[in-house]
Amino acid sequence: MAVLYHGEPNGPSLSVLAVLAECGLEDQIETRAINLLAGERHTIPGITEPLARDLGVEGEGPVLVVDGEACQESVFLAQYLDEAAGAGLQPKDAYTHWQMMMWCRRITERCAPAAAFLGNRAYATPVLAAMDDPSFDAITASIASADLRQRWADTRSGAFPETAQADSQVKIADAAALVETQLGDGREWLIGPLTIADFETYGWLVGMVDLMPDAFADRPLAKAWMARMTARPSVQSALARAGTAHPERVWAPGPEINRWG
Amino acid sequence: MSVALYHWEPNANSGKPMLALMEKGVTFDSHYIDMLAFDQHKPEYLAINPQGTIPAMVHNGRVLVESTAIMEYVNEAFAGPALMPDNPLERWRIRWWMKFMDQWLGPSFSMIGWSVFVGPMVRKRDPAELEAAIDRIPLPERRVAWRKAISGQFGEAELAESRRRVAFGIALLEEELGKRDYVGSNAYSLADINIFNSTYSLPLSQPDLAGRDKTPNIMRWLKRVYQREAVKRTWAMGRTDLAHRYSLIMEGID
Repeated sequence: MAVLYHGEPNGPSLSVLAVLAECGLEDQIETRAINLLAGERHTIPGITEPLARDLGVEGEGPVLVVDGEACQESVFLAQYLDEAAGAGLQPKDAYTHWQMMMWCRRITERCAPAAAFLGNRAYATPVLAAMDDPSFDAITASIASADLRQRWADTRSGAFPETAQADSQVKIADAAALVETQLGDGREWLIGPLTIADFETYGWLVGMVDLMPDAFADRPLAKAWMARMTARPSVQSALARAGTAHPERVWAPGPEINRWG
Repeated sequence: MSVALYHWEPNANSGKPMLALMEKGVTFDSHYIDMLAFDQHKPEYLAINPQGTIPAMVHNGRVLVESTAIMEYVNEAFAGPALMPDNPLERWRIRWWMKFMDQWLGPSFSMIGWSVFVGPMVRKRDPAELEAAIDRIPLPERRVAWRKAISGQFGEAELAESRRRVAFGIALLEEELGKRDYVGSNAYSLADINIFNSTYSLPLSQPDLAGRDKTPNIMRWLKRVYQREAVKRTWAMGRTDLAHRYSLIMEGID
């Protein structure tokens, strides 16, 4: 049986857990909660093919272990679950499917690194800063990716350049504006029918509402969409797995900001 | 049902949809966009793709952008040989490798390529003309990238990190192709098209890292892909002597 290792229901862990429930696979795929900020993703037992876990672009996202192979990247895990279950969370029409993939790519390349930057700055840095050196060193020693290891070190030391901070805030505001515009024709979900794009976007943005309230202040359609997402039984099922009162405040180093600027 | 493809040379991002269309047997109108002449930022092209990125494809009046996403569209929209397997785990693995190339390894290839090739090529032009061309670039991050490339402003730390990633990525690809015939599965797929278009030149551009003795699995795979009829027809659309130079390398591979 495949096993899904996940963090608190926030960010990519939230989107994949919600898709798991939306696909009706909760009884067929075992789930195990891990503490991402304790480095537990890097010591998952029984992995014979660790490449995607070690080099995942997403950083500290959920890991689905299938026959010893570590699978990562929340959009692709959602596609895997959807295709395994035949749940219909991807448009059958090729053009609409392209639109969904383009939307997801915009979220994972622009919104996700910005959200991870701001979320880690606010919530992960104090946790890692309070950690003693041997404990932190033990975590980083288990991380295969040199650039992910550097993001852990930057998070602990609070190395968040002001320019990157401002840029990240712009990108979150842009994402909120994008959602608002997309819903402007009265549609209920981002691509038309409910798709993986809704879950991926919700997972990364829901934790930004408290951190950047201004980005959502004049976005009634985006807020109503978020409320519809929150009300879905699949999202409620994912949120019910929380081990803390505020899972939206739990972050761990995520995708890097585009090196080209 | 007409298909128009706006592309540069048959390599990297432009080569992906070109080769995918060829593999599917889809006839298309080819529009060569000379990246080094900044054709992609001229009004006539911005009317097609306001982002000013290449490639772009127009099918049934709809404009599609982003090379990997276009390939996925081509595979789904047209008949012809399937370029994705049915197995969900293999489909996941193929998507993973394409993202790894598009977002982690590919940018390092292009940063090095721009610093040693694109930058020096365009620096020969009139500075005022260059500045005007950069000002026309719609996406701010592309403006930053072009300025860096043209003025040679990639920092040594940035380039060193890119070189580290290239060496690391080549080693990972060598390992992957020791496990399977193709990238992510035992059948030719979109992942092979994606990664071939960014790695076929490795024996020339990275001789210290890739070659017959250092990366035998990669070289066997490169030759297998190179021998495909669709690759030969795609490369014939280029305006350089790429195909000839490459054939000389492949002659030495078993």
